Amino acid sequence: MQKKASLLCLLMAFSLLIAACGSGNRTESTDASSSGSEQTVKITLLNSKSEVQEQLEEAVNVFHHDHPNIEIEILTTGNGQSPFEKASQLYAAGNPATISMLDPADVEQFKDRILDLSGEKWVADAIDNSTTVVDGKVLDFPFAVEGFGFIYNKRVLDEAVGGSFDPASIQTRDGLKNLFMQIEAAGKQALHISPLDWSLGAHFLNFLYADQSQDYAQVETFIEKLRTGNADVAGNAVFNGLMDTFDLMKEHNSDKKSPLTATYDKGPELIGNGEVGLWFMGNWAWPNIQAFDPEGEYGFLPVPISNNASDYGNTQIATAVTKRLVVDKERSTPDQQAAAKQFLEWLVYESNGQDFLVNKASIIPAFKNIALEPRDPLSKSIKDYMNRGKTVVGMTSLPSDHWSVLGASMQKYLANVIDRAGLAKEIEDYWKNVK
Amino acid sequence: MIAEKGKLARLRSRLIFTGPTLFIFFTVMIVPFFYGIYLTFTDWDGISTRYSFVRFDNYATVMRDGVFWKSFILTLKYVAVSVVLINVVAFFLAYALTRRKRSNLYRTGFFLPNLVGGIILGLIWQFVFNYVVVNIGRELGIPLLAHSWLADPAQAMWALVAVTVWQYAGYMMVIYIAGLMNVPSDVLEAASIDGATGWRQLRSIVLPLMIPSFSVCVFLSLQRGFLAYDLNLSLTQGGPFKSTELVSMVIYNKAFLSREYGVGQAEAFVLFLIVAAITLLQVYFSKKMEVEA
Repeated sequence: MQKKASLLCLLMAFSLLIAACGSGNRTESTDASSSGSEQTVKITLLNSKSEVQEQLEEAVNVFHHDHPNIEIEILTTGNGQSPFEKASQLYAAGNPATISMLDPADVEQFKDRILDLSGEKWVADAIDNSTTVVDGKVLDFPFAVEGFGFIYNKRVLDEAVGGSFDPASIQTRDGLKNLFMQIEAAGKQALHISPLDWSLGAHFLNFLYADQSQDYAQVETFIEKLRTGNADVAGNAVFNGLMDTFDLMKEHNSDKKSPLTATYDKGPELIGNGEVGLWFMGNWAWPNIQAFDPEGEYGFLPVPISNNASDYGNTQIATAVTKRLVVDKERSTPDQQAAAKQFLEWLVYESNGQDFLVNKASIIPAFKNIALEPRDPLSKSIKDYMNRGKTVVGMTSLPSDHWSVLGASMQKYLANVIDRAGLAKEIEDYWKNVK
Repeated sequence: MIAEKGKLARLRSRLIFTGPTLFIFFTVMIVPFFYGIYLTFTDWDGISTRYSFVRFDNYATVMRDGVFWKSFILTLKYVAVSVVLINVVAFFLAYALTRRKRSNLYRTGFFLPNLVGGIILGLIWQFVFNYVVVNIGRELGIPLLAHSWLADPAQAMWALVAVTVWQYAGYMMVIYIAGLMNVPSDVLEAASIDGATGWRQLRSIVLPLMIPSFSVCVFLSLQRGFLAYDLNLSLTQGGPFKSTELVSMVIYNKAFLSREYGVGQAEAFVLFLIVAAITLLQVYFSKKMEVEA
């Protein structure tokens, strides 16, 4: 008797397991059947910008208050997991988020699975080059603009130049060199280079492509030439100008003796404590700097590539829409898709949505109609450059392993393992072999 | 008892005991394994809804992939050095600790690193190598320690080996202690009556009788060495400039960073074949070396 009972138990446990395995896909269909026009629509949002997680959770509550028939649940990417990894896992499991936040380069790969957003109202208000367009279809919503260049600590620079530092005074490499020497004369170190592959590969090398020409078509031509092996990197004026600047940076680097040692955390500490004047990084570093210096004044300087102030790139910092929202069409019901679209519209056109983006999450929005001013000094500085049109494009369409492979090449150059010709060759080789 | 029942009853009781495990093993090991092999014949990128068959193209790419083979050679070196060091250190720890009484505290101490996860361990040691060691080196004026090991390609590899040994030596030590305890004391006594002293006893009696422990430990350290990923990721991130990327990391990056899933999967399968061959050979030869007391 007892044996039979235990057998039964086992069987039940077993069938439960099988049922649990099979139920993954079913959540949507039950949602769909219950979501009539009057009923609550439940959608999910995959957040891959972990620094705004709390604010986003608050925002979906506000949104639910504004639109009581829509409920949004937030999913997150795991620690150290790329948005692509998480989103493709969810798709593989047949359970994708209704709205996924992806990196720009990934969007196109999802093109068969995501909704065409061309008909949305916000498309007309988005800033130029902020969406992914494939076959004439707008596939994503530009969520956040980010920018990078030299972050400066105004307190240190004021001291160095004796008086109030004017960022517009640095427009050439010699100007930058002069500034470095002034900072060093004041007893501080000039700048810190974070030897991280993503910073060097994705952000510093960005200028190699973006500074080629003001005309983006020329930039694309340059990349096409690289792919076909017809571009001469070693003889390229922008490359040599950029590397001359990098040599200058190496010379004045706070970690000159051991340039590859520092981790990311050292940067905010050095600049926040006023030990260095400049740090090559982007506005995402503000929360980290703030921890050391909450009241300080900071801003961006361009990375000059020549001694001619009017050359393209010398007065511009790089900006890009680094996070995109896409709406799933594969597993989401029409109601869910409509709800997702409504959420996107809320972000752009309703005051609560704008308030979340700009004031709560400190995001620089990619929409011309949003007039709110960002609060943190780095975002303010970027917004200022954007308003004056002084930006070069942040390349969001580079191949997915570009930062890793060429970041390693830049590390070699930083540590003097290869020379400039070697770096040029590695860049050429990478592009010839990339898919 | 089982033998008394009929065939069906026997099958039933087997299924009761092994069924759940078999089911789980089948769904999370066997099915993904064969599905993975199937994917090596496609050009899937990890997300696309469409992919086409490319026959053996991915394997041809693997054969031509210089980065993969370079990191494979690097992994071989890493495995060779760390297997030897882990087992030498572990054996001598075990030998020393079985000679003295009240060694439980030491045993626990040496075993402890094994309880810390690879990622955390890597982060702790990153701090040690980047700051602690460097400061000690500067204070004492030792040039070898005055700069971060993690910033130099050759030294970063040794840092990786050092942490690996530190992590696994304690675990292997426990196995060796168990082995040492099982060396029959009558044999040792007979040896000492015959006049064999410490070194002679160790070489002629203890070591030959410990072959089973060695084969287990060498097998475990071989297999862990080939599959090392977490420590590699958190201690060096494969850097400086990709000089310490072990083969697992290269495969992962190929599949998920470069989005060449088929090629990455093919590389993983090639690695599986090689590791399986090496470990089977190792087990076969160490079995042959075993002796009876």
